[in-house]
Amino acid sequence: MNLAALVHSLRCSLLRIESRLLQAAGLDRHLAPALAVNGPSLLPQLQPQDSIMWMAVPKKRRTIEVNRTRRRCDSKLLKVKTNIEPCPECGHLKQKHILCGFCYAKVRKETGQIRYQIQAMEGGPLRAPIEETVVLYDGETAGPQDKDKRIVERPRKRPAWFSS
Amino acid sequence: MSAVFHWRLQVRPQQLSCLHTSASLESKEWEKKNKKVFPPQLPDEPRRPAEVHHSRRQIKYSKDKMWYLAKMIRGMSVDEAVAQLEFNDKKGARIMKEVILEAQEMAVKHHNVEYKSNLYVAESYSGKGTYLKRIRYHGRGMFGIMDKVNCHYFVKLVEGSPPKTEERTSLDHAKEYVQHLKNRTIIHSL
Repeated sequence: MNLAALVHSLRCSLLRIESRLLQAAGLDRHLAPALAVNGPSLLPQLQPQDSIMWMAVPKKRRTIEVNRTRRRCDSKLLKVKTNIEPCPECGHLKQKHILCGFCYAKVRKETGQIRYQIQAMEGGPLRAPIEETVVLYDGETAGPQDKDKRIVERPRKRPAWFSS
Repeated sequence: MSAVFHWRLQVRPQQLSCLHTSASLESKEWEKKNKKVFPPQLPDEPRRPAEVHHSRRQIKYSKDKMWYLAKMIRGMSVDEAVAQLEFNDKKGARIMKEVILEAQEMAVKHHNVEYKSNLYVAESYSGKGTYLKRIRYHGRGMFGIMDKVNCHYFVKLVEGSPPKTEERTSLDHAKEYVQHLKNRTIIHSL
């Protein structure tokens, strides 16, 4: 596993031995003097904290062709949805895993009307009775099962989707 | 990095007239295409399908973002296109759906199209509208110029069923390239 390190250390020691031998033989010629002192030199200019010298910066302007290939690659294009189907109740389009928007809106409208009426009956906040509530439409009377329940009358025909 | 721009945006009015040589800022070429009248067709000519050009100008949306939607519905039939746009969450999808429904209505009422479902999107693209420039303040006294973008949307509906585009796989492209290389020959040789 440490073969590379071993080889490297061997190579270093061999080079050292070689240089020592050459030194002893007097055949090597160092270009620098035997004694060298580091003289005074210009210290590197301390970069101020906010210098822009070491920011990552674009080298060249990206051409419009390069930009277009990046912006229009397949992963960035919009995917066509395959989960759209018509709602069996109303015929508007809906997504398979989501309620039909039209049907939801019509139910919401009717429940809004019922809530408005309940609000008028209660007359203020935090006055909901303990009994259950039952919604009765035109031409309907309270049956035996609605004995102990609060009755909300709606002055219209019962909608088809609201089963009694 | 914050950018420092020279404030050279003041365009003199006399410069504006020479900025655009062919089309002015308010050219309505797309709308004029609906007024084109063809000569009567000869009996043996194939029937020319009906076309409707419609557009909406100065939509408060980006032309680049609109392009993705326009690219998606290119080549679809109107019903498919409207269905896709209805369930897309982008702002431009709602506007595009309105434009396509308007165009469909126009086609049936004024352009002699019999069935409103028998249309497909032949061309659809977005264009740049007028941009307003505002200053966006950055730190340390730097400023950038913010563009308040507007775009146009153009659509052309043609009568008929959408043309079938042949699906070409990458293998087909590679085979064609190799064949092109093989077909090379030395001209003017013996």
